[in-house]
Amino acid sequence: MPNKKNITIEPLARVEGHGGIKVEIKDNKISNVEVRILEGPRLFEELVVGKTPQEDLSIVPRICAICNLSHKYAALRGLEKAVGVNVDSTTHLYRELMHHGEMVESHSLHIYFLALPDFLGYDNAVAMADKYGDTVVKALQVKKFGNKIMRMMGGRMIHGENPIIGGFSKLPSKETLTEIKEEAIELLEFAIATIDLLAGLEVPDHMERDTQFLCCKPPGEEYGYYGDIFIASDGEEYPVENYKSVIKERVVGHSFAKRSKYNDKPFTVGALARVLLIGERLKGKAKESYDKLVNERWYRNPLFNNHAQAIEQVYSLEGIIETVDKLLVSDDAAIAKPTQESGVGTGAVEAPRGTLIHHYEVKDGKITAADFITPTAMFLDDIEAFIRTGGEQLLAKNKLDNIELQFEMIARAYDPCISCSAHLVEVVYK
Amino acid sequence: MTAADKPKIGIYGFTGCAGDQLLIIHTEDEILNLFGATNIQSFVMASSNPIEEDMDVAFVEGSVSTEEEKEHLHEIRKRAKILVAMGNCAVNGGPQAMYTGDGGYDKRLKKVYGDSVKFVTKPLEAKPIDAFVDVDFYLPGCPISQPQTFALISRLIHGVTPEPYPHPVCHECKLNENRCLLLDEKFCIGPLTLGGCGSACPNHGVPCVGCWGPNEDGNFKHHIKLLESFGMAREDIMRRIRGFGGSKIVKLIEDGGK
Repeated sequence: MPNKKNITIEPLARVEGHGGIKVEIKDNKISNVEVRILEGPRLFEELVVGKTPQEDLSIVPRICAICNLSHKYAALRGLEKAVGVNVDSTTHLYRELMHHGEMVESHSLHIYFLALPDFLGYDNAVAMADKYGDTVVKALQVKKFGNKIMRMMGGRMIHGENPIIGGFSKLPSKETLTEIKEEAIELLEFAIATIDLLAGLEVPDHMERDTQFLCCKPPGEEYGYYGDIFIASDGEEYPVENYKSVIKERVVGHSFAKRSKYNDKPFTVGALARVLLIGERLKGKAKESYDKLVNERWYRNPLFNNHAQAIEQVYSLEGIIETVDKLLVSDDAAIAKPTQESGVGTGAVEAPRGTLIHHYEVKDGKITAADFITPTAMFLDDIEAFIRTGGEQLLAKNKLDNIELQFEMIARAYDPCISCSAHLVEVVYK
Repeated sequence: MTAADKPKIGIYGFTGCAGDQLLIIHTEDEILNLFGATNIQSFVMASSNPIEEDMDVAFVEGSVSTEEEKEHLHEIRKRAKILVAMGNCAVNGGPQAMYTGDGGYDKRLKKVYGDSVKFVTKPLEAKPIDAFVDVDFYLPGCPISQPQTFALISRLIHGVTPEPYPHPVCHECKLNENRCLLLDEKFCIGPLTLGGCGSACPNHGVPCVGCWGPNEDGNFKHHIKLLESFGMAREDIMRRIRGFGGSKIVKLIEDGGK
């Protein structure tokens, strides 16, 4: 083996935020793996104390740009419980539309621009344009479409203030909704073609190991991105209010993101967890995509998160079409008012990269305590475990060429959001 | 033009939400041209294998919030002919700087992370990048505006000096013919906030929260009085004004405006 002392991958590229991976190797064995989050601490949980719920809504989406509306949505769900707001069914549909928009934006960015270059052998998606010009151009269109919905519902592409406690300040016209639907129908074809593109990719197996999965269980019988119950791969279900006893957080020195375990073990959240836990609920083209792609390896290999996102991209485009159809025949939305000044509320949604929890305590109209657990904080331990297994397999087979890329691909597959988690790869041979 | 002749650009992110870098990635209509017209030698959020050499223009997003970031910023400054502070966190410190300088940082850090952790790099109370290095141009925003960003990049790569945009949100709000929210006695700090967002929030009937940071020509003293005349407590006004302006807005409030 090469007489390297260190494998340090820093900065970890094509992820959102500043991090690295450090892998220490001793006697041809992995002695330590650290996914480092080097983004500085921002202390949002303390910054929102003393603020009103509406002020909180302006601040917390700034935790993360890519999934700013998931943060807004999780905050809304938590705060509205705390101050007794019940939104009407039309507002609920608009929130689903908003969330589908963010899924399309974030998943398309990750599938085509952050993950696919690794599989096709490029540094970035722009470099892919010579050979895969059509794919890059269409991918840009899909991403632009996701952003268009985020702008329409959020009030700005990133960090809009249009979603407010009880509803939305301004709603799109029926004409705009119809345009959105037509565009979704047009893009669906490319999203389906992406399923075939991914089906043809060779996916490495060196890191495969068993893990656990967790996501929100949507109410009713349909697939979806929110819920008041967590469902886990061991068959257990928990009310989201119990999140602290379900997801055990801890602090580690190599990361400004906190870490979490479920059942004292690492676990996966995100598109892969959702598709494996509630994928049987999919219908239409998304179900066809599910049937085409999902197999037993998905339970043991995080790289299939890229594929799971592609299934959800199909699901969300179909979801946009369906939601618009419902909205076109719905009653007008009203803005619901708070019914109490004090209370406690836990809001959970599925951000594109996994389960996101916002918990609030409100007294006399001001926040007295807040707790946020982001998806990246949940799955960092799982990334480390997969890198350890992959590294051991590669060392045992003496496949050391490009070992850094193999590690990076594992980390990137999770679509980590380092800003959210506030924390990336270094390999040390000792 | 070969890569060697093109202006060399580096795009860096410190502590923030990465929304300004994301906004560049989200310029679906221009991003291919941007990569074509310039040599983007380092843009870690979008591309692997960055080249860390001397460059013509460095764009830095985010506040300085760790010792490692402070050192990295000094190192980028040495390699860059022109340094641009990109986005509110780099320009003013961002929301994480809303209490900077109040003496409560250590307590907040302990409350979130506990007191037994030894970090890989020392956490620092969030500050804008000009607290540490000279900044040549400011590109404000939360996030930055695509038209302003491309106007600035185009001028810089063609050797033209970018012009400042010293207009408040109010200016753009009037051009958009929105009804002034202050007439309805709503809390709006558009008059104190740097424009460029196209009055995105008042266009949707919601007040300006000040996310682009202070417009230094704002009449801070009078505007606070106006908000007080709506029956708002000074304490509530001050808390809300300080959300995105770091210690720069505190100074402007103390001085009553420029």
